Amino acid sequence: MVLSPFLLMPDTSTGVVVIGGGSTGAGVLRDLALRGIDAILVEKGDLASGTTGRSHGLLHSGGRYCVNDLAAAIECVEEGRILRRIARTTVEDTGGYFVSVSEEDEAWEPRFVEGCKKAGITCERIPVDEARRREPALSTQVRTVFWVPEDGHLDPFYLVVGNVESARRRGAQVRTYTEVIGFTRNGSRISGVLTRDAMTGDETSIGCQAVINATGAWSGFVAKLLDVEVKVVPVKGVMVVLSHRLAHAAINRCHKPGDGDIVVPGLSVAILGTTAVKVPHPEVLPIEWNEVQLLIDEGAKMLDGVTTARAMRAYAGVRPLYDLGAEAEGREMSRNFAVIDHEERDGIAGFTSIVGGKVTTFRLMAERVTDLVARRLGVSTPCTTAEVPLNDREDEMDQLRHRPAQLGVPKPHGAELALQPLICECELVRPQDVAAWMKDPAVRTLEDLRRRTRSGMGPCQAAICSYRLAGRLVTDRAADGQTATRAMADFLETRWRGVRHVFWGSQLRQAQVTAALHLELFNADRQLLMEKSAAGTAFLPPPRAGEGRGGGAVTEAAGVRP
Amino acid sequence: MKADIAVVGSGLTALVATRTLQKAGRNPVLIWPGLSSLYFLYATVDVLGYTNATTTQPVDEPVRGVRQLIADNPDHPYARAGLAALQDGSSLLLEWLREAGFSWQGTLARNLLLPTATGTPKPSCLVPTSMIAGDLQRDEPIAFCGFDGYQDFIPELAASNLARTWNGGPRSVTSVRVSLPGINSENLFTSIDLARRFEDPTFRRDVATRLRDAVKFDGARLGMPAVLGLTHDTDVHTEFEKETGHPVFEIPTVPPSVLGLRLFDRLRRHLQETGVEMIWAAPAHNAEVANGRCQRIHLKSAGRDQPVEARAYVLALEDAVDGAWRAGAHAVRDPFFHQLLAQHATPAERTDESLFQPQPFAAIGYPVSERLQPLDTDGRPLAANVFVAGGGIAGYDPTSIKARGGMAIATGYRAAQEAMAA
Repeated sequence: MVLSPFLLMPDTSTGVVVIGGGSTGAGVLRDLALRGIDAILVEKGDLASGTTGRSHGLLHSGGRYCVNDLAAAIECVEEGRILRRIARTTVEDTGGYFVSVSEEDEAWEPRFVEGCKKAGITCERIPVDEARRREPALSTQVRTVFWVPEDGHLDPFYLVVGNVESARRRGAQVRTYTEVIGFTRNGSRISGVLTRDAMTGDETSIGCQAVINATGAWSGFVAKLLDVEVKVVPVKGVMVVLSHRLAHAAINRCHKPGDGDIVVPGLSVAILGTTAVKVPHPEVLPIEWNEVQLLIDEGAKMLDGVTTARAMRAYAGVRPLYDLGAEAEGREMSRNFAVIDHEERDGIAGFTSIVGGKVTTFRLMAERVTDLVARRLGVSTPCTTAEVPLNDREDEMDQLRHRPAQLGVPKPHGAELALQPLICECELVRPQDVAAWMKDPAVRTLEDLRRRTRSGMGPCQAAICSYRLAGRLVTDRAADGQTATRAMADFLETRWRGVRHVFWGSQLRQAQVTAALHLELFNADRQLLMEKSAAGTAFLPPPRAGEGRGGGAVTEAAGVRP
Repeated sequence: MKADIAVVGSGLTALVATRTLQKAGRNPVLIWPGLSSLYFLYATVDVLGYTNATTTQPVDEPVRGVRQLIADNPDHPYARAGLAALQDGSSLLLEWLREAGFSWQGTLARNLLLPTATGTPKPSCLVPTSMIAGDLQRDEPIAFCGFDGYQDFIPELAASNLARTWNGGPRSVTSVRVSLPGINSENLFTSIDLARRFEDPTFRRDVATRLRDAVKFDGARLGMPAVLGLTHDTDVHTEFEKETGHPVFEIPTVPPSVLGLRLFDRLRRHLQETGVEMIWAAPAHNAEVANGRCQRIHLKSAGRDQPVEARAYVLALEDAVDGAWRAGAHAVRDPFFHQLLAQHATPAERTDESLFQPQPFAAIGYPVSERLQPLDTDGRPLAANVFVAGGGIAGYDPTSIKARGGMAIATGYRAAQEAMAA
């Protein structure tokens, strides 16, 4: 939909509207904020609810791309080093191994070593015995091991939230559950966007001087609102979460990247990745049993214990591969990215798309697109996202530091902390970790809270914390019982969708406890029947007036600050 | 070891079966595979809450409901056990509870309607006396009471839900919250910690005073999380009612459930004190069959394989949590005969898309004979002297009709009777 600018004055105005709340959009918002450009980020769901939050969380050393996609590999090397500086609490420096497990892999080894050299990736071949000493779970099939110290784990949720918080502190705004449904134009120039709130259905216009389309796999849909084409190929990847890490470091197969060839340890879990299947739509992501089975079988070639470990859930994400017009498909396509200048390409001034890429290089993607947009807006302030730390107020983002104390580990000075109350025993989430987010208008569902706190991500998959969180919705956010109960049920249902694909062994028994607790002890199925409310998303009420965490209120002053 | 009759299981099913044998003068040995999670969840004996999975109309008279269910579904585990097993088993359990020092109430003739921790009315049949005052078929107003810093019972949530479905006339629902004396709400404390504290009269009286001041109207019933004592709960409840000046009822909380702990700890101890031998935390993993009879079962005890030889065996495992069957990605087998109970192309087939619908996996179990013997694929008993109760029986789904306790009692009692006759 394209509206004439003369029909209505925008409800609010800003300098740049960023569409998309994944790592790219969040990175763009922060880049704009650091350059002093007013911006509003709009996201049709929650932050990190699309591709970013469904990644396996590998901070790429570049080793996986160094043979077939040298340009992408070189970017990974540089960006990985930057992220270790600016996002210390978001990156876990696990290091990684590339292992060969069979004869046919051996031809890949010299190419891998050569690729690492070309890309500048630190890579050291180590004896298998030494590798097994460091990683006792390495399978007996492993024949060759390369140590690549710059593989790591990147927490995708904290990464996005950290970027957004950093931007908010500098005046940027965020509107989640806000979908762009149209644009306003002034001749050939974009003058604003029209948005719809997913909860209320309210339509709002935002006047602006430029729009950045950072919607990844959804880029084509946004561009289509302006009748221009952006060809993004959505490629599904399925992952399986195991209940413990199995290895200290990321374990990759040393071969041509393929299905099921990586195990990423992250916090308390290990994630088996991944598959690659082209899908017709980025939101059609069925989890097929053969994919789950393949991940477990392939993972077991690298690590002992994969088949016997407790699988907690399976999930699917979508890669936003940009179609450069080549014949390549799926994994063969470049993981590189492109900035599409629609003014030059399509004659639409003020509209730019950033497509392709991956989470590891989000900052660079943001820098490139922001360079272009800032230049067009006449802002010459250079990009500083590689120097200014993300957690420049660490108290807000450093959610992990309390954990040793929580487990009863004495503080360095010898004083022992008493155990603190917990909302989620599995992931050691405390009430105060949740309280701040309860006041954030961007948090509209318990899933949103999970992304920000990890509550519900452990073995019990929200069986217990869902009740406690439902209670906090009533006490902290004045939700009525119906909304809170529906939110609890939605949260459990979302978890259930992942659990049912690994429904055997311990996780089956766990699920039976969940069912007994919620359906028998609480009688939740009848509560839902009594409400006659269709399954779906119950949005939470906004926080009480004056309690916002920032970013919720709309400021009048807008435009580019001098 | 040798035994008269071996009972395997750690839930109510196994307890009832063992008690049945004990009362009949037999000499059972109870093989307890470990703490099943139901140990932490069990609160009441639900016999039949609803006639199907989709109705919101509770069953008023469970015994009539079960009779009808048996008539309509001759293959249902209730039908296999028979109504008499439910009736006789329930009498046996109530008498046992009295003897073991519990105060329980209820009859099969009538369901109570008790509010859950989410404020949902729920039909239950036999319940601890400390829960009785919550019956929603009575009209007195209800005040749900919670404690600062205690997260496992949220009075505001319960009140908001119940007010919508139950309010009207003299009925009213409210919630109050008080701080707890001597407990720092910044520190972790669980339902069990609280239950222990409530056994201290000074603490209890102090809480009662705080609640009396907080509840503004006379005649209200106080709905409390089930933390009123761990071992002296009957006294704690009686005294607490006097001290608050209100009828008080307990509500089951998320695990650890004090109600479940009280029930199983005391019944288990009572069995041991009255001479029943127990083998603790030893999962059974193999049955040896010869000449059509089970010769012995094997237990995984500490560091060794322990065979148990008995004249008859009651496999009274509550459900998959208790170890009634074991699921791989495709095959589901029982732990004794390694019989293939179900085969699934994908694990997801075992579930419904929604957690809140009946689950196909709940129906997994042995097909059983009229006498509750597990059958092989040709319909012949796997062993003439083995009897199944609880979650090992095909079609055993107490969740969707809210019948967990009743089905446990009926099948446990019946299987014990059959074992004695074998």
